[in-house]
Formats: sequence, structure tokens, C-alpha cells
Amino acid sequence: MLLYQNMIIRESGKMKDALDHLITHEHQIPDKLAVTELKACINLELDNLKEARKYYWELLDRNPENVGYYQQLEKSIQPKDTQERMKIYRTMAEKFPRAQCPKRLPLNFLTGSEFAEKLDRYMRPAIRKGVPPLFVNLRSLYDNKEKLKSIEDIVLQYEKCLLERSCFDETESMKESPTVLLWTRCYLAQHYDIVGNTKLALEYIDKALEHTPTLIEAYMIKARIYKHGGNIVQAAFWMDEARSLDTADRYVNSKCAKYQMRANEIAKAERTCGLFTREGSLASENLNEMQCMWFQSECGRAYKRLGNYGEALKKCHEMEKHFEEITEDQFDFHSYCLRKMTLCAYVRLLRLEDSLRGHHFYFTVAKLAIECYLDLYDKPLSDGNKDSLASTDNLSEKDLKKKKSKQRRAAKKAEIQEKGKDSKDVNQKNEGSEENKLDADTLAKVEDPLSEAVKFLKPLQTFCSDNIETHLQAFEIYYRKDKLLLMLQSVKRAVKVNPTHAKLHECLVKLNKKVTSSQNLEESVVEVMKTEMKPLFGGLDLLDFNNEFLNKHKFSLPHQLAGAAMMYLLEPSKQSEAISIATSLGEDMNERTIECKRALLLPLLL
Amino acid sequence: MRSGRIELGDVTPHNIKQLRKLNSVIFPVSYNDKFYKDVLEVGELAKLAFYNDTVVGAVCCRVDHIDNTRRLYIMTLGCLAPYRKLGIGTVMVEHVLKICEKDGNFDNIYLHVQVSNEVAIEFYQKFDFEIIDTKKQYYKRIDPADAYVLQKTIRTRKS
Repeated sequence: MLLYQNMIIRESGKMKDALDHLITHEHQIPDKLAVTELKACINLELDNLKEARKYYWELLDRNPENVGYYQQLEKSIQPKDTQERMKIYRTMAEKFPRAQCPKRLPLNFLTGSEFAEKLDRYMRPAIRKGVPPLFVNLRSLYDNKEKLKSIEDIVLQYEKCLLERSCFDETESMKESPTVLLWTRCYLAQHYDIVGNTKLALEYIDKALEHTPTLIEAYMIKARIYKHGGNIVQAAFWMDEARSLDTADRYVNSKCAKYQMRANEIAKAERTCGLFTREGSLASENLNEMQCMWFQSECGRAYKRLGNYGEALKKCHEMEKHFEEITEDQFDFHSYCLRKMTLCAYVRLLRLEDSLRGHHFYFTVAKLAIECYLDLYDKPLSDGNKDSLASTDNLSEKDLKKKKSKQRRAAKKAEIQEKGKDSKDVNQKNEGSEENKLDADTLAKVEDPLSEAVKFLKPLQTFCSDNIETHLQAFEIYYRKDKLLLMLQSVKRAVKVNPTHAKLHECLVKLNKKVTSSQNLEESVVEVMKTEMKPLFGGLDLLDFNNEFLNKHKFSLPHQLAGAAMMYLLEPSKQSEAISIATSLGEDMNERTIECKRALLLPLLL
Repeated sequence: MRSGRIELGDVTPHNIKQLRKLNSVIFPVSYNDKFYKDVLEVGELAKLAFYNDTVVGAVCCRVDHIDNTRRLYIMTLGCLAPYRKLGIGTVMVEHVLKICEKDGNFDNIYLHVQVSNEVAIEFYQKFDFEIIDTKKQYYKRIDPADAYVLQKTIRTRKS
């Protein structure tokens, strides 16, 4: 209660009052940690640096692994240079020799030989101990090219010495255990994977597996390398291998299911998940009840890739329902929280509910749903023939067969599911009628896909407005609805988020083209479009605008692709030139990721 | 040499594939499904050896009754190549010996070793195993096909 009172004082901006209030009532508040944290934070806010410092040291004595405390402490000390900054961590490291934070955090700001030395001291014990997430811990340093090189050098040196004399370096006399070489190789595999050298990464992981074929982590790394290399089927295979070596590990099990889903092996993935869900009920059904959203969104995406829009949309609506349920669940808390007087928690809950649909999962599902609806709008399903003709043409016969059999399987699954539902209906008649709403076929044969899409779009615009995808999706919807002003609104919002986004360029060009080719527009609309579009295009005509875009982003593959696609859109006669731009894959291109290489296919099919 | 942690753990349906993988790498002989099914039933007689939390070795035994004697037969006992000479084998043999001691009802422990496998023979001799017999053509697909029978007597029966 007192903490709640304090929270209100703080949020009204009266920091000084809050501090006094806190000190007066300190002895009445049982949550000592919260009191110290607040005192530290308020003092920092009030620029009482000395006081703040004292409390943060106190907090660090309680928990030397809290990264936030270190950051705040630094703010209160305001170290002048790296040496002073280092002093904080040296003090902590001496006080708590086992704590990781004082060893890891300096790596963020140290450079050169100091960095190398500290890195060496950080890595050796971790490799010795076999800390699987060592790579993940260091991953954030890879943004710095110099540090990346430094890490690579050190670990390569380790491997060399370990092979020669089982030690980290020439001077050591104590021999290391064999697991050290193993983990060193695992690290190198992950290192080369992230650097993009798939071949070398595979070489190292295979060496590691030859050394110790029972290391589950190594199989997972191998799977990940294949995933990053774009071979998702192999990735799923190796993840399944990892899973089979310890079938009691839920984490690996989930990973495996996810990889299988990515490889469009939906039935397999459901079977994998089934190993951990309640027995006697269908895995997908059980996971729906459990609101297991990562599974459902992956599943939905897999269905969409397979062209099974009905099932994909079904997953989307199931997830949308979860969010509704979560919102409804909060009603229980109104009376509960007030009765228990847990007001701080109550306010946190209310705030969470306010922005619930800003959650990452909601974004994923809404995006998926919108994409499905857009595709359905572009290529409506005809009865009895679920394969859209366009995609059928491009599939080889074998692929087609595979696809058909997959669809058959999916259909069979759906049938089983249907049956499961029937039996459930007997038990719970009320729920039955609701379940019927989510019939895959009905969902796919939606009357007006665009307005359905807008339903998913609205929460995104409210809660995910800082994500450019929101506005790009909005544009795609309104583009198809011929809503010029709304298109303009989306584009302008997107420009605010990231004016150089490749896809945004496509939107701009399409918008411009649509405006110029539209007839019978209202006077006022034309006026608005004219004034608003001028700054967006810098007064250039559309062709110049596109050419300049291509020139400006010469070394970015996504931008080149977007530019090429637009070139073709503007001047169909230039198809071959567009294709040559899209397919020229210079060594100096940035972001030569797999996704981009896949995207290459699209303009080719124009 | 820095010492690592050596621990023994149970073989369960969850990790049985680890055992399969180990055996397929360590031994030139491949074992059938029945072997692995039985292993799950023998409790303490089958163990995985962990080195720094990674499975690197395993031992599998069974109880034989022959001519009124009760014998413990070590079917497999082995460790991945990079982890030899670290005392993992010793931990496994000592585990088996302890079982015999606790049980108190075994006459002897025995096992087969390929005649060419000097390292293994020496290893078992450290624990007072003796070569008591040579089985001609014991192995089917590997060369040499002969095997020694090594045995350690636990108690001598009063007649």
C-alpha cells in the first residue's frame, strides 16, 4: 500500500516528496529490496549521485549479477575514462570472484589488447567448464569487426595449442581435459556460422561430433548451421537427432518441432510436440488450449507456405482468441487485487492489458493473417481446386506430388481434428457452436478478405506503430482497396519509422503510379496528394526517382531488388534489364542473406 | 591434467539412444535391439559414464546362471577414444565390483576380449582378472575372431 502511494507520488513527478515519503515509512515496508532499489533510483533521478552510488553498491552486494545495477552505478559514478570504469568492475570481481557480470560487462567497452586479454580470461574458464551459451554471451560483441577478429584469433589459437599439447597456450603446463577441445570446436562452428562461412562451420561441428558423438548441443549447433545456410530440411533432421538423444528434454523437443514446422513438416512437428502434451488428446488441440502461441504461429506460417490458407487462418483466429481471452481474464483481477490490496501489481496488470496487442506474438499473428487475406484477395480460391494455378505451374511434378500428399495429410489431420471436436461437442455443447466458427474452409472462402485483414491491422496501428511492417502491411491493404489517402497515411507513417526501407520504396512508387493513373478523382484529393507527395519524391519524376534509388543503394541487395521490381512495373519493356539488376550478386553487396536470395526468384517470375 | 567430473547415470528410455551411439562408435560389434531392450531392465547393471556432464562411456552387464554358478557377465564396457586414460573405465569397473560385493551372491565376474586388444587385457588384469580360456572364432565379422575369456573369482564355493 505504501509502495503504491509512493508510486503515485513518483509518477506525478515529485521525486523529492517520494524520497521523503520512502524514508518516513521505510520501517513499515517489508519489501526491503524494493525500498533500496527505489532509494537508489530516486536519488539518481534527483542527481544525488553520492547517495545513489551508496545504494547501488549495496544492491550489488545483494546481487552482483544484475546488469541494470551496474549501468545505474556507472551513471552515478560518471567515470571519466575506461580506467575508472574498469575500476568498478575490478572491485566487484575481487569481492565476488565467482560473479560473471564483472567479467563480462567490461568486454563491451574495452578495446584493443585490453579487450583481448580480458576476453581470454573470460573464455578459458567457460570453455573448460563447457558453458553451452558461451557463444550467445559473446554474440553481441560481433557487431564490432575488430572484436570479432580478436575473438576469432584467440579461439583459433586455442584450437591449435589444444591439438598440439592439450593446453590453451604454449606456456601452460597443466593439460586440459578432452572436453576443452570439444567445446572450442563447437565455439568455432558457431563463430563461422554467424560470420556466414557455412562450409567451415560444418567442418568444425563435424570434427566436434567425431570427437564426441554424444554431445547433444553439438547436434543442435549443426542443425542451426543448416538453418542459417538455408537448408531447413537438413536442419530439422539434425535437430531431430539431437532430440532423440534425450527425449526427456522439452527444450530440444520444442526446438525440433519448430524446425520441422519451418520445413513444412507439420504432421511430424505435431507428433514431436505430442511427446510432451497430455496423452489422449490431439497435440495441436492441446497446445491450443494451452495457448501455446509459438507453436500455433509457426504452424500457421507453415500452412500458409503450403498454400493452405484455411488452416493458416484458423491458427490466426485461434491466436486472436487467446488475446481476447487474456483480456477477459483480467476481469477476475479487478476484485481480487482490490481485495488483496496488491495495488502495484494491479496497476501493472492494467497497463499490460492496455497494450496487450502490442505483444510480439500478436504482431506475428496479425501479419500472418493479413498476408493470408491479401493472397486470398489476389488469388481467390476456387471451389474444389485448392492449388492456385500460378504456383502449380512452377512446381516440378515431384514437388507437386509432395504438395498434394501433404495436403492430403493435412486434410486427414483436419478430419481427425473434426472428429475430435465432435466428441468434444458431446461433452461441452456450448463450446461446440463456437468451435464451428473456426472451420478452415469457411475461413479460406471469406467474402471480403480485405476488411478481414483490416480487423487485424487496427490493433497493429495502435500498438505497433513504431514497426515499419505495420505500415507496409497497411499500405498493401489500402492499395488493393484503392484508398489513396489511407495509402498516403501509411506511407508517411512508414517514412517516419525508416525512410530508407527497401519495401517502402516499392510502396512509394506504387502509390505515385496509382495516383497518376487514377481518373475522376475528387479535386480536394488530388490537391492533397500533390502537396503531400512532393516532399516524398523530392520533385523527381517517377523514373528518375527509381533510378536514383537504384544508384543510391548500389550495395544493398534488398534495395536493388526493390528497385528492379519497380523498374519492371514502370516500364515493362525493360524486363531484361530489371532481371539483370536483380540477379547480379556482387561480392560487395551487404545483407546477402538467404532470404534475399530467395526473394531473387520473385522478380524473375514477373 | 586438470581433473574432470566423472559420474555414473542410469540408462533410461529417454537416453538409450546415447548408449546406442556410444556402442556403435566404440565397439566393432553391433548389438541388436534385444540387447538394448534388456539393458533397460537390469537397473544398476547398466550405467552411462558422464565426463563433465557429457556422456562418454557406458557399461552393460547381465547375470548368468551356468552349472549352479551365479556369474556376472560384462557385456560391454567402454569409453570414447579422446576420454581414455582419465579413470572413467576404472570408475565403471569399480561400480561393477561394488555391485558384486553388495550382492554377496556372485561366484565370479567374466567377460570376453578380442585377443589382439592388449590395452583392455592389461586394464582388466589390474583388477585381478585372469585369462582362463580362449574362444576360437568367437567374433563373426572382425579379425582376429578369437576372444579370451577373462575372469575374476569373487568367492570359492565350499563343496
